Amino acid sequence: MIEVAQLSKSYGKIQALTNIEFTIDKGTCFGLVGPNGAGKSTLMKILAGILQQFEGDIVVDRFSVAKEKQAVKQLIGYIPQELCLEETLTARDNLLLFGRLYGISGRTLNNRIDNVLEKIGLTERSKDTVLNFSGGMKRRLNIGCALLHEPAIVIMDEPTVGIDPQSRKSIFSIIEQLRADGSTIIYSSHYMEEVEQLCDRIGLIDKGILLENGTMNGLMEKYGTPSLYVSGDTIEAEHLHPYQIAPKGDGYLVRDANPLATLEKLLVRFRELDLQPRRLELYYPKLEDIFFQLTGTKLRDN
Amino acid sequence: MWAIAQMELKKNIHDKGIWFWTFILPILFIIVFVAVFSGQEGVEYAETVTQIIPGYTVMFTFFIMISILITFIKDRERGMVARIASTPISVSSYFLGKWIPFMIIVLLQIAVLFLFGVLVYDLPLGDPTALIVMSLFQAFLATSWGLAMAVLVKTENMGIALTQIIALGGALLGGLWMPIEIMPDIMQTICKFIPQYWGLEGYKEIILHDGGVLDIWQPLAILLVGGAIGVLIAITGYQRYLRLAKS
Repeated sequence: MIEVAQLSKSYGKIQALTNIEFTIDKGTCFGLVGPNGAGKSTLMKILAGILQQFEGDIVVDRFSVAKEKQAVKQLIGYIPQELCLEETLTARDNLLLFGRLYGISGRTLNNRIDNVLEKIGLTERSKDTVLNFSGGMKRRLNIGCALLHEPAIVIMDEPTVGIDPQSRKSIFSIIEQLRADGSTIIYSSHYMEEVEQLCDRIGLIDKGILLENGTMNGLMEKYGTPSLYVSGDTIEAEHLHPYQIAPKGDGYLVRDANPLATLEKLLVRFRELDLQPRRLELYYPKLEDIFFQLTGTKLRDN
Repeated sequence: MWAIAQMELKKNIHDKGIWFWTFILPILFIIVFVAVFSGQEGVEYAETVTQIIPGYTVMFTFFIMISILITFIKDRERGMVARIASTPISVSSYFLGKWIPFMIIVLLQIAVLFLFGVLVYDLPLGDPTALIVMSLFQAFLATSWGLAMAVLVKTENMGIALTQIIALGGALLGGLWMPIEIMPDIMQTICKFIPQYWGLEGYKEIILHDGGVLDIWQPLAILLVGGAIGVLIAITGYQRYLRLAKS
């Protein structure tokens, strides 16, 4: 179990995290989402024991990150967004390095390397130099390096950036396997559909503040009032007056407190006007919609 | 620590650049400058050789700083340092693991350049124990300055430029290129504050005057203090270096 208590962190005058509090139960896949600069990486770096000096604490299985960093590090496998690999060395050499950094050696280490290579699908390429690997293979090896000490908690920071669908699928199956083994996963990504698909709980963070923390269903109940989605070649915004509308794809989202009643009214109106909708359906918001609802759509370049 | 040291050594063995800077370029410099200066009137051959070979050896030991800072900056940029910081390894073990291979390379460099001097130019070596101790201290100074530079500089280019200033500026002011006796009085005073001068003085004492370890205590002490300052800067700058690291 992970308990984050009143966690705050600043970089000089910049407040990166403010009073973050949440818990993650053992075996949970916790999705951490937020715009760039929201504080996700800072939070993960503190948990992984990389950043010193912060206020509050995180307790991981009885061990305090502030006071018992070494014990916490043994429990955590940290997979950074960057590909932290020695490219001039082989896949096996890279795994050997990280295994030894966690104090594993000898036959145990060799067996663990073989297991991890199988898990990440690189057994055949173990003696090849990483320089010759594809992006997806490097991502998988990047994950493998964090699994050798069989951590109870795996922190994944954008593990699927810039890879092909096959590699993404392979990474998803690694995550599923980790979950089946009982690992707790903290998963950060900008791909909302991935977080929706993989995570049991979702934490939404912005400007260093945890805006929401709950299950997808819980978030849906709170923010997910369904809308109507209408599209059709001849349907224009004026046909949807006086409802509140927003363009989406090649149609419009019609927002109303009672979408079913609106749907009936619109059907009548379209029939009267002889308009042929291509799609007229209830639209349940996705995580991305909730994300925009809470964080806005303004660019976050700073 | 040994895991990092072993990996670093493996990486360096594969790096052709380090072979060029460490062994090929210094040997070329020695050949060219011995040929130029030994042909001059009034300059004894032995004098030339005992000035140029240890002088250029001391100068080129500082070029290891380039390899050290490139390694550290790459680790920082690729997020490797942040990742290593997430493992149970301590800061001191990380530095030691990174440092040991470069110490080995510099010691190997000194051995190769002196061996080249012995085989090609009949360079006298003097007391082997004193020579080994002197080389250990010289390697300590150059590599610790490399560590300090690596955690302080923001970019590779900035680091390379500063290394050139330290290596070439120090060589000029420290009297590595020409005997200090023929330099102006002011330069002879300045050079006393340059560690490179003391590096060369130590080697000269061993080679020319058959000095032992006790005879070179002053150069050793200065190199040790200079090296310790480098280590201190490196350890102090580590947190900042970590903050700049990608993850």
